[in-house]
Amino acid sequence: MRKSLSCIGLLAALVVAIALLLFFTWKAGQAQDSHPQPLIVGRVLDRQSQPVVGALVTVRASPEGEILEQGNTQADGRYAVAVPASIPERLTLIIERSHFKPGQVNLDAASIQKLRSGQSIIVPDLTLAHVINLAFWIATLIFCGVLVLIATGTLHNTLAALAGAALIFAFSYLGPIININFFIFTFPIGISYVDWNVIFLIMGMMIIIAVVERTGIFQWLAFTAHRLARGRIWLLMGILMVIAGVTSAFLDNVTTMLLMTPITIQISLALGINPLALLLPEVMASNVAGISTLIGTPTNILIGSYANISFNAFLVNQTPGVLLAMAGLIIYSEFIYRRERIAAREAGISDLLLEKLAERARITEPDHLRKAAVVGAGMLFLFIFGERIHLLPSVTALMGATALLIWIRPDIEEMIEAVDWTTLVFFIALFIVVGAIQEVGLISLIADAIGRVVGGNLLLAMLVVTWTSAVLSTVIANIPFTAAMLPVVGYLTLTVPGADTKVLFFCLSVGAALGGNGSLIGASANMVTSGISERAGYPITYMYFLKKGFPAMLLTVTLALIWLLLRFLVLGGSAG
Amino acid sequence: MTISQPRHIVCAVRGGIESRDTVTRAIDLALETGVGLTFFHVLDAEFLEYATIGPLSVVYQELTEMGKFAMMILRDRAQRRGVERVDYVVREGNIPKQLRLFAIETHADVMVMGRPATGESRNVFKENEFDQFTAELELQGGLKIIAVPE
Repeated sequence: MRKSLSCIGLLAALVVAIALLLFFTWKAGQAQDSHPQPLIVGRVLDRQSQPVVGALVTVRASPEGEILEQGNTQADGRYAVAVPASIPERLTLIIERSHFKPGQVNLDAASIQKLRSGQSIIVPDLTLAHVINLAFWIATLIFCGVLVLIATGTLHNTLAALAGAALIFAFSYLGPIININFFIFTFPIGISYVDWNVIFLIMGMMIIIAVVERTGIFQWLAFTAHRLARGRIWLLMGILMVIAGVTSAFLDNVTTMLLMTPITIQISLALGINPLALLLPEVMASNVAGISTLIGTPTNILIGSYANISFNAFLVNQTPGVLLAMAGLIIYSEFIYRRERIAAREAGISDLLLEKLAERARITEPDHLRKAAVVGAGMLFLFIFGERIHLLPSVTALMGATALLIWIRPDIEEMIEAVDWTTLVFFIALFIVVGAIQEVGLISLIADAIGRVVGGNLLLAMLVVTWTSAVLSTVIANIPFTAAMLPVVGYLTLTVPGADTKVLFFCLSVGAALGGNGSLIGASANMVTSGISERAGYPITYMYFLKKGFPAMLLTVTLALIWLLLRFLVLGGSAG
Repeated sequence: MTISQPRHIVCAVRGGIESRDTVTRAIDLALETGVGLTFFHVLDAEFLEYATIGPLSVVYQELTEMGKFAMMILRDRAQRRGVERVDYVVREGNIPKQLRLFAIETHADVMVMGRPATGESRNVFKENEFDQFTAELELQGGLKIIAVPE
């Protein structure tokens, strides 16, 4: 009894203390509000109308006069600087930011009069222009170097990006000892370019994949395709393409191909067909169908996070185009591999080998698969309806991954190992490298150039973004390319009339992913498929892939683009 | 070294179209001499380093199964042609190292391998490397290497 009384007393004292604190805080606020200090408020933008963050705004009595007050621009490019009690005859605002030409605003007499009477003033938006200095060339060279190292395979992707990020910081911190123009950005600014939504979404999906891949579902699906086809190669090819496509829309397409390629080769050998006749259509379908969802490709994850495009928006705006492209791809694949189908009929089927395959093609962990399916369904629900409560996809992926881990209780160390940390480090380092070229103004320069080419023509902008992305993605890695193109497309979205539907981001998604079908090095999924196929004695040469893949790329990009043109130019669609 | 009467033949192959002549030569030799034949496949998965997502343990298992399947096809082919003692072995790792180890372990006295073709070849070895490797292996393992052009 005594114990509970003392508890009530303590609680009452606490409530009184909080009430007093709130009262004094309110009084202090009132005291401040009764004598508000006049403010000079404004916004600083770059030439692409993007906010300039962290610019130093200095209030001076004259351009070279004494400093009266200073402030910084915020994330939206806005600043608010308080003016001193005694306001001189003239007031000048000097706006400075590294990599930009300084800006200056001289306040007119009316504004100064307003400030003297205690009123705040709003200064018109100020546009700062980038300056091309030593840092510009260093950041540009480092970015190009990273692209070359990745494309040639001289260094592992992660190592190449990490080397680029390290060099940028080395120049930024050590360079100014020799010349101030070596400075690119500080560590906190570099880190601010990292999109953590992307990192956590990829990490969450990796954990889900690590559970699913161990269940044997991929092998079972591939063998089920063989059963359904009943020896009809044309049907088998179509079913395998659909399986690869649908799986890639929800899981990473590299994983899909890593796990489907070995079983596909074995089915091909048992049927007496050249494995390449099934593998190439499969990997191309995987590259095409991945773009129908936000989580299907790393490029879509990047685009979705940057442009705030939801899971639903990808589904609605990309899926019809993907279906069109898939239909075209299936017909094309059936046509180019018609000779292999005839040869397989002549070779006949080995029942003994198929029996052996059937023994292995089974679900090895049905309980885990069932639980993963339940969690997957929940995640899908949240991906689709979560946007109504502003639930970020990365949060959904993390919640799903954690729920699945708690439910199935796997060896946690094994699961942690299953997360590909090198890929996550690759993305972090890549964001920093791309941030550097954005900081020094290279992206603005490219955006300006493309803006001049397309003018205000949305159709031309769609064609340029799609085909530039598609062709370049056949020779350079599409992830760094997409990361670099995002601000460019963002600028075009702001400046080209009608592009506010975010259509150009969908064009980038189509070009960057489907362009991967144009050459062997165009997509990671192509490379792993080729690697496995070569180990089985069926090498996929660069020229072989180019011969089969490039026409497929032209066809699928055209079909997907036709849908986007129809959807956004004829039917007046939006990403909303 | 000349082949007198070998005791065991090893055929080191990947499988696939380019291995066809090598396999035929090994089967012919096993039939001629009446000795046991082992198909040997080494899984070299270095290329996976460039995969962006790494479910490696599961993939290694799948690749091993794929290798076994390819070797099973070759065993089936040899048996159908009348080779009585035929089996296969699949290992994972560095190919030259595994070939060397396997030759020593099994006391094989003949190893049949594919010789890289002139020009573009998908063989594990380059032309000049191949001659050097086989010369060393013959010396270390005390066996005869039969190189079949791919």
